[in-house]
Amino acid sequence: MSPSEAPRSGAEMRKLLSSRDIKKVVVLGANGTMGYGSAALFTTAVPEVVFLARTKAKAEEGLAAAIKQVRSPTVASRASVGDYDNDLESACADADIIFEALTEDFAIKKDIFDRVEKARPDDSIIGTVTSGLSINALCEGRSDSFRQHFMGLHFFNPPNVIVGTELIPGNDTDKELVDFVEAFSTIRLGREMVRTADTPAFAGNRVGFKVLNEAAQLAEQLGPVLVDRLVGPYTGRAMTPLATIDLVGWDIHRAIVDNVYENTKDEAHETNKLPDYMAALMDKGVLGNKSGAGFFKRGGKGEPRLVLDIASGDYKPENEIALPNLDYIDDVSTFHAQGRYEEGMAAFLDAEGDEAALAKKAIAGYVAYAFNRVGEVTETITGIDMIMGAGFNWAPPSVLVDTMGAASAVKLIEGAGLEVPKAIVAAAESGTPKRFFSHPHINPGKYFVAG
Amino acid sequence: MSTPEVYVIGGYQTDFARNWTKENKHFSALMRESVLGALERCNIDPEDIESAHVGNFAAGLYCMQGHLGAFFTEVHPAFSGLPTGRHEAACASGSIALLAAAAEIEAGRYDLQAVVGIEQMKTVSAAEGGAFLGTAAWYEQEAKDIEFPFPKLFGKLGDEYDKRYGLKDEHLAEISRINYDNAKLNPNAQTRTWYMNKEHALCRTDDNAEVGGRIRIADCSQVTDGAVCVFLASRAYAEKYAERGGMKLGDIPRIKGWGHNTARLRFVDKVFESRNDQFVLPHVRSTIANAQKRAGIADTGGIDGIETHDCFTTSEYMAIDHFGITAPGESWKAVEEGWLEIDGKIPINPSGGLIGAGHPVGSTGVRQLLDAYLQVTGQAGAYQVEGAKNFQTLNIGGSGTTSCSFLVGV
Repeated sequence: MSPSEAPRSGAEMRKLLSSRDIKKVVVLGANGTMGYGSAALFTTAVPEVVFLARTKAKAEEGLAAAIKQVRSPTVASRASVGDYDNDLESACADADIIFEALTEDFAIKKDIFDRVEKARPDDSIIGTVTSGLSINALCEGRSDSFRQHFMGLHFFNPPNVIVGTELIPGNDTDKELVDFVEAFSTIRLGREMVRTADTPAFAGNRVGFKVLNEAAQLAEQLGPVLVDRLVGPYTGRAMTPLATIDLVGWDIHRAIVDNVYENTKDEAHETNKLPDYMAALMDKGVLGNKSGAGFFKRGGKGEPRLVLDIASGDYKPENEIALPNLDYIDDVSTFHAQGRYEEGMAAFLDAEGDEAALAKKAIAGYVAYAFNRVGEVTETITGIDMIMGAGFNWAPPSVLVDTMGAASAVKLIEGAGLEVPKAIVAAAESGTPKRFFSHPHINPGKYFVAG
Repeated sequence: MSTPEVYVIGGYQTDFARNWTKENKHFSALMRESVLGALERCNIDPEDIESAHVGNFAAGLYCMQGHLGAFFTEVHPAFSGLPTGRHEAACASGSIALLAAAAEIEAGRYDLQAVVGIEQMKTVSAAEGGAFLGTAAWYEQEAKDIEFPFPKLFGKLGDEYDKRYGLKDEHLAEISRINYDNAKLNPNAQTRTWYMNKEHALCRTDDNAEVGGRIRIADCSQVTDGAVCVFLASRAYAEKYAERGGMKLGDIPRIKGWGHNTARLRFVDKVFESRNDQFVLPHVRSTIANAQKRAGIADTGGIDGIETHDCFTTSEYMAIDHFGITAPGESWKAVEEGWLEIDGKIPINPSGGLIGAGHPVGSTGVRQLLDAYLQVTGQAGAYQVEGAKNFQTLNIGGSGTTSCSFLVGV
């Protein structure tokens, strides 16, 4: 398990920060979304950032994308470009951080680490932005120096907007170095850092994609529009689940849930199984927004958006899709609009009907799954809360429990036919803790969106 | 007889990065979250609140809503019957509400006051909002038919410095850089995820477009939505509160001093009046000095940090010499020496200030007081100034028209 999650004071972090100087970062795979996004982020605080890709032209594309993403000429003045064949060794030779953002393929990453290992200075930090591969496996068999300087630094996409970041030390990673990277990322890069264990999909994606995949499973019977209404903003998220999968990309979604399904065995195992229809549609090129179509597709100008009919694979205008009575969602939203979140959640829990029951089951599943991962992916529920809040922009599980009350959370989870996590049972019985989420600077209300 | 003491019990700030229109939320939600958040954070029963004040600039324009004090009754049933009121002095509205609440405590009327500074601004387009802000100046003479009048007025403040003492863009860019860097440490700062560094602040392309003379985007604070609630208490209440929380009375910060002045509305008149003065805005100077004098503190050397009104980089540049950190006209020295950084000689805006933390107009004065409270009680988290005991605020309405300052300390 990773070291303590106790937040450090600003003075402690500034002291840690002064222990090293980061003057040069080399980004490998700088043409990919995470590569150029991370590289752009590094330019905020680092005077020299090298964009490397398979070809120099690809690296240049990455640089152009980075400039476009953050809209600042600063990026260009601090960046240089190169390709692996000609420039990797020379770029790494005096790098302070070597940041790997290649495609999520173990063999490809291994090959490049072979070269990095030979070229890097002994004291350089090697970070990987992998969202799924094991940190320990990625550095297995390498030199002591490599393993001591290697860690996962998992930014979320796009890194210039989403501050939640997972920090995943390996078994041999130097503890002071991990502390330094945490301080550097917090102070210089403005990150909200969460330490997680080296478990499949770490904390955020493990908990988040379970909910997303369950929504995708539900969509087979209910259709995408109804699912996104049921698990919509009023349940504590700015973006609806299936629209999120479209944004992330179906292929990325598959990679994450397949990894979790294959490498974990937990109480919600089947909710991590990719629906067959998604695999079949991906074979036909459906990948979400990047392919122009996923659960949703943009309509013509001034036309309603189009919605996937899962059985036929065709798209229908949204306004032709009949929905059942969902008045309860309007009632909840009216409370949220006035900042009456407790009353909003009570109205949700009291709502009757099959649709409300499905929505409650999804939320109960999210809360229970998250609380059951404590001790496995993070030391406390706070780590999961922080990454769900700052990484997914979802109401953290603790915020949902606090807002509805622990006793109501017990009822909700029992009602969904799930086992209630012990911590929630204890809170309901003893009244302690009064709140699970107590970050002094974070507003729980911001996660509840009306409408 | 000495003036009765006014204590600061604590408070709560909404995240200034939030856009409440995008959350589909009404003004009342903003009010509720700040007040309920403060009650919970401070562990105070709503029944204890005896009077309440709202500082707000222009809800009538932005939200088509007046009578803001009455919204306390929507926050909690215990507030039914509470004396409430609303105060306005442009961007200093929050401080005016605080002054009124503090005066009621000094007068012995009430023992515990809730003060909310609040503004919801993302309800309208930037151009429309810019015109609304123009009403903080003499609208007809300085703002009517002018796009974004305030950057232009504070651009003129820079021009006046340039004329009297010389002014370099790189010093303004460095002020912007510090505020943005500090904001990265503040989880409630509007700009904490924005891309900024000194090079960007100095860039002269459309990525950092000109909005008013020498004022470019990076020199500006930005409009946003936000509310802050703090509680002010009499000595009697503070004693009870300290006992209940296992604290000593001396652990609870108090408003040791305050200053409050008004200058002529039009910027040209202010500058004309100060033509023979060493300070460009002498009323701002006297506001700062009055607060220090009332606190029994000789000068800025006796304070550990400042939350100042950097609506633009030029207003912070002005504040530096008006606080006496440097001789008049030499603010650049403090910038170059690194004195203003969180671990510098006299940190300014560890929160990120208005440029970094955001400027929901009516809430700013209250936000500054809350940040001063957090600093002197060691609760400012990553932006904590180590060992801070005394912090001073400076809140300005209009183009240096209304000035308010509080000196908060333990």
